[in-house]
Amino acid sequence: MKILLVEDDQLLAEATSRALRAENFVVDHAANGEDGQHLGETGTYDAAVLDLGLPKVSGIAVLRAWRAGQCKLPVLILTARDGWSEKVEGFKAGADDYLVKPFRMEEVVMRLRALIRRAAGHAAPLINCGPIAYDAQVGAFTLNGLPLKLTALEWRVLSCLMLRKDHIVPRRDLLERVYDGDAEVDSNSLEVIVARLRRKIGHDLIETARGLGYRLTTGSS
Amino acid sequence: MRAMPRSLSGRLLSVAIALIVIAMLAASVAIYFALHRFVQGQVDGRLDGQIFSVRDALRVAADGRLSLDPVANGPPFDRPRGGWYWKVVTALGALRSPSLGTKDFEFKEPPPGWQPGPERRPETADGIGSDGEPLRVRLQRFEIERQSVLIASAAPLHALWGPLREALWPVALTLVVLAFALIGGVVLQVQLGLRPLARLTEELHRVRTGKVERIKGPQPTEVMPLVAELNTLLDQNEANLERARRHVANLAHGLKTPLATLAIVTEETGSDPRLKPLVTMMDRRIRHHLSRARLAALGGPERTRTSLAQRAADHIEAFGKIYADKRLVFKNGVASDLAVACDAQDLDELLGNLLDNACKWAGKHVCVMASASGSRVRITIEDDGPGLSDQRAAEMMQPGHRIDESAHGYGFGLPITRELVELYGGTIMLARSDLGGLRVAFSLPAAL
Repeated sequence: MKILLVEDDQLLAEATSRALRAENFVVDHAANGEDGQHLGETGTYDAAVLDLGLPKVSGIAVLRAWRAGQCKLPVLILTARDGWSEKVEGFKAGADDYLVKPFRMEEVVMRLRALIRRAAGHAAPLINCGPIAYDAQVGAFTLNGLPLKLTALEWRVLSCLMLRKDHIVPRRDLLERVYDGDAEVDSNSLEVIVARLRRKIGHDLIETARGLGYRLTTGSS
Repeated sequence: MRAMPRSLSGRLLSVAIALIVIAMLAASVAIYFALHRFVQGQVDGRLDGQIFSVRDALRVAADGRLSLDPVANGPPFDRPRGGWYWKVVTALGALRSPSLGTKDFEFKEPPPGWQPGPERRPETADGIGSDGEPLRVRLQRFEIERQSVLIASAAPLHALWGPLREALWPVALTLVVLAFALIGGVVLQVQLGLRPLARLTEELHRVRTGKVERIKGPQPTEVMPLVAELNTLLDQNEANLERARRHVANLAHGLKTPLATLAIVTEETGSDPRLKPLVTMMDRRIRHHLSRARLAALGGPERTRTSLAQRAADHIEAFGKIYADKRLVFKNGVASDLAVACDAQDLDELLGNLLDNACKWAGKHVCVMASASGSRVRITIEDDGPGLSDQRAAEMMQPGHRIDESAHGYGFGLPITRELVELYGGTIMLARSDLGGLRVAFSLPAAL
C-alpha cells in the first residue's frame, strides 16, 4: 500500500516515513505543497498524509486542488492547531480524517488503514476471502484462522489484492504499490512475489489474468 | 488642603460664584457712591439756594448793623430744631435762622488764606448742633457794603442718610436676587456643559460591555480629540488581541511539529522508555496553556454574527467522516436562519468539543437542536450512548479531567467548553437525553 506524505518538516517527515515503512507501507515524500499537489494528481496512491501548515501552497489549497481535479485519494490531514475551526475547514475542503500534532504513530497507521479500507468499499475492518482473513485495523492476515507470516513485499501485494478481491488488479497498479518511488523496478520480480504467495496460501486463490493482472478469489470456482 | 475642588462642576461653580459675589460687591459699592453723591448734591443744592436767598435779603445799615428784608424761610428752614439752619456772621454780630431758636451751631472755619471769589460755589464744612447732632454745613463769604459777611447753612446728616438708605434697600435687594439668578444660571450651564462627558462615559461603557464597537454619534468639538484618541486605543487593542491570537497559533505550530517528531522517535525500539510519558505531558501542558491563552484573549469588544446553521452543518459533515466506521445518523434541528453573536472560532470550539464527545459515546444517533428564546439561542447536543450519572457529570466538568483515559482526546474539551459558554453569559447543563444518552444544553447570545 502506497502513501503520499506531504510534510515540510524534514525531521518529522523522516520519522513518519520510517515508521510507516516499518508497517509495510510504501511512502513517497513531498516537502512542499507544490510537489505534493503534483504527486497526488499524477501518482498512484492509496492514501495521503497531508500537513496543513505547509509553506508556499497551504495544505488546504493542495486538498482543494485535488478535489477540484476529481482526485478521490483518501486524505488524512495533520494539523498543529488544536482548534476545531481548522479541522472543520479541512473536512470542508475534502479531508477524510485528521490528527493533531503530536500524534502517536500507531494512530496514523490505524487511521490510514481504515481510510484505505473504506475507500475500497469495505465497511467492516475484517475482510474474508475463502480461507484468508485480513484484519484491516491491525494489518494482519490469517490463513484458516492461523497467523500468516509474510515479507513486506508479499504483504503489499496480498493486501492490495485482498482489498480488491474478486476484481482484476492491473500489474502496473501492483508494481507501483509494491516498490518505493526511487527503487529499481524489475517487472519479473512481481511474478516471483506472486509465486511465493501462492506457495503460502494455495495456488488457486490468486488467478492470473493474462496481459492484465491478478485476481484474488475464494478459490472455489 | 487643595485650593480647588476635585470635580469639574465644583471648580466651575466655585469660580463662578466667587466672581459673581465680587461683581455684586463692586456694583453695590459703586452704586452706593453714586447715590451718595446724588443725595449729597441734592442737599447741597438746597443749602446753597438758602445761602443765596439769605444774601439777597441781607441789608446792612449805615452803622454796620445787619437786617433781613423779608427772607425766604420756606420749609424745612422754618421748622424749629429740625436741623435745617442758617446764620450770617459779620465782624459786628450774627443773624440766625428762626429754626435755631435760642440754639446755635458750630462749624470749622475755612482754612486761612481762603478768599471768596465771585465765581466760587459755597464750600463744605463739618458742623455740629448745640444738641451735639452732626450737621452738613455749606458756607460762603461775601463782600457786602465793604463788609465781609459769612453765610452758612446747615442740614442734618440724617437728611443725607435717610434718602440714601431708602434708595439703597431696593438696589441691594435687586443685586442679591440678581446674584442668585446668576448662580442658578451658572449651575444650569455647568450641568448642560458637562452633560457630554456623562454621555461619553455611557458610550464607553457600552463599548466595554460589547454593545457597540466604537464610540460614535455627534460629540462636542472639544470632546472629539478625546473620542478620536479613545477609538484609536480601541483599534490598537483589537490589533494587539489579533496579534496575540496569531502568536498563540504560531506557537502551537512551532512547538507541535518537533514534538510530533519526538513522539515518533520515542516509539521506535531502543529509545528510553521514560521519554514517552514526558512527551505526552509536554503535549498536554501545551494544549492546556494554549487553550487558557485563547480564553484570556477573548472577551474583546468585537461582536460578530455567525450562522449557527452553517457551522452545525459543517461540523456534522466533518464528524460523519471522523466517525465514518460508526455510521452515525445525525439529526440537524437547527433552523437555517439562526445566528449567534459569537466568534466563529469559539462556536467551532463549542460544537467541535461537544459533538466529538457525543459521537464518541453515541450508539447510532446524534442530535443537534437549536431554538431562539428571547435574546439568546438555546443549543442542545444529544446522543444515545450510555450517558452519565450525576456524580460523573459533575466530575467531568473539572478542569483536566479525562472522561475515558483510553479514548483519544485529552478531556480538556468539556471544562474549556464550560468556560467559553460562561464567557458568553450562559451556563452548560448536563442531563439525560430522551435518546438515552447525554444531553448537553447551553445558550449563546442571539445575533441581532
